[in-house]
Amino acid sequence: MTDRGVRSDARSGVRSGARSGVRSGARSGVRSGARSGVRSGVRSGVRSGASSGACSDPRNDARNDARVERGEPGSPMSAMAPIGLRAGIGLRARHHLQVLSDSPAVAWFEAHTENYFADGGAHVEALARIRARYPLSLHGVGLSLGSADPLNTLHLERVRRAVQRFEPALLSEHLSWSSIDGRFANDLLPLPYTDEALRHVSTRIAQAQDYLGRRILIENVSSYLQFDCSRMPEWEFLTSVAQESGCGILLDLNNIYVTARNHGFEALRYLDAIDPRAVQEIHLAGHSSMEFEGRTLLIDTHGTPVCDAVWDLYRAALLRFGDVPTLIEWDTDIPALEVLMAEAAKADARRADAHAVAA
Amino acid sequence: MPSLRELQVDVMHALLDGESDRALEHAVPLIAARGIAPSHLLGVYAHTALTNFTESISSSFPAIRRLVGDDYFRCLARGFHARHPSLSGDLQPAGRRFAQYLLELHSDNEYRYLGEVARLEWLIQETLLAADHGPLDLAKLQQVAPADYDDLRFELHPSARLFAAPFPCLAIWEANVGSDAEPEPIDLAAGPDRVLLVRNNGQLKFHPLSRGEQDFLQSLQAGERFAAAVERGAGHGELDAAHGEFDVAQGDARAFDAAAVLERFVLAEVIVDFSMAALV
Repeated sequence: MTDRGVRSDARSGVRSGARSGVRSGARSGVRSGARSGVRSGVRSGVRSGASSGACSDPRNDARNDARVERGEPGSPMSAMAPIGLRAGIGLRARHHLQVLSDSPAVAWFEAHTENYFADGGAHVEALARIRARYPLSLHGVGLSLGSADPLNTLHLERVRRAVQRFEPALLSEHLSWSSIDGRFANDLLPLPYTDEALRHVSTRIAQAQDYLGRRILIENVSSYLQFDCSRMPEWEFLTSVAQESGCGILLDLNNIYVTARNHGFEALRYLDAIDPRAVQEIHLAGHSSMEFEGRTLLIDTHGTPVCDAVWDLYRAALLRFGDVPTLIEWDTDIPALEVLMAEAAKADARRADAHAVAA
Repeated sequence: MPSLRELQVDVMHALLDGESDRALEHAVPLIAARGIAPSHLLGVYAHTALTNFTESISSSFPAIRRLVGDDYFRCLARGFHARHPSLSGDLQPAGRRFAQYLLELHSDNEYRYLGEVARLEWLIQETLLAADHGPLDLAKLQQVAPADYDDLRFELHPSARLFAAPFPCLAIWEANVGSDAEPEPIDLAAGPDRVLLVRNNGQLKFHPLSRGEQDFLQSLQAGERFAAAVERGAGHGELDAAHGEFDVAQGDARAFDAAAVLERFVLAEVIVDFSMAALV
């Protein structure tokens, strides 16, 4: 009998392709319309891997720990490699093999939680091996914490399983919603900033933290629209959510910049309103823009280098929040790992500068 | 002021239920108008939802995409999205019903094979994402008295999937994911596929099956006793008695055939565990 073997690695990108699409598709779709040229690197990997017929792809500082108020029963911190102060980079499937073969000098990685929901296969195996060598953060995109639907316990259980399996030092989700009546847009939709939404999302974050047995970080999203019924600015909403739920804040400076430009406020005003003790992680990324009837809308593509204005914001953030774990995120048109490492090195240089100023 | 739920229902309707003015009529007034028209802003999000979904389907069904071309694939994805939007915060399962959608779309024309190939692609997804399992513990099996074999319930590898179709779908799939070169024509009348998919040590493998083997494995997968599975397999008289030395039971030629099949699928790490059937 002849078995026709096909390397599963070649197609395993399929799994994470699906996931990374949430972010990359979100951004690439907007940028390039329905053209497929901006498929995420993960998906390009699927294609090229299959084509070649071979295997292609396939701080914690004391402050952080002290603020893990909900504790981590059964999961000793010693099992979780702490995330250091040097900047990390977002892990994407197309870099799995290179990371495993070259062990590049990356301080830590952050992976999208949903990409590793599978029971087995090349991706979860790769992440387990990468996790054995590097500190890890898991970053969710699908929990839909702001939805008026009941909390999706099936999804939450899968997050819990991933946390048990990969023991991430940091665990995060978004201040957004993506579903109602069981239907998902699989995008990070902005909430109306009302008292009702504040109570609702705070309760759900607290429920998720109770279920997971640990504190999570909540990230601000980019937004292209504001709801008429909003009664407070986003920074006030985010600050209140952190206070009421006990969650930490993952501050995405690019998202602040994009949202500030789209809605006409000063990004620094946002930073000034955030409690420094709540900020546990910073994201840096790139964006692009679209024109509508002569007006510019910034789009959170995460597909370009960090822009100068966001680097300036980073400097301000370092002075206000101190040294916080920083991550370079890149989700569409994913470049070589070296490009991401160069961006991380740039962040580290800014950190050193800010330290010198602070001292 | 709308409730959170009311707002979300109206916005989701605008994002998922088409671009007509009607789909937007409840959502547009919810948005603070400060420059760019709310319909454009909603359109950005709607486009993102469809693109994310399409990308997910595309990565799950690379052979279908290649067979129909990018433009028609996007049309298919749009139609499928309208009928079966994502029901999960994880996009991976989004394509679960895509094969059925294609089968219904082309139920009575020459493109019926598309749905069958899509069914194979979805099973490949499941095989690639299933849990791992080691080979069967032969020492453990040797402790079972031959007289008790009939009552064993053999278990297939978690990644094992059985596929049968009236077309040579595996050949079509291989021709459309293996190379960028223009594939050789495939004769749809070249015969039906009966194949078992399994992932061993990271390798996706396809085992061609006889009808008897297919029924035998299907029976095992359904949790039936070994004796019942053998009976189903032998029902087609196709089990090859010419080889196999696994002395499961004596005498009976039918049992001897079953032993060969059992050996083949144990060695191929398709059958990976067993338990004694509960005595009821």
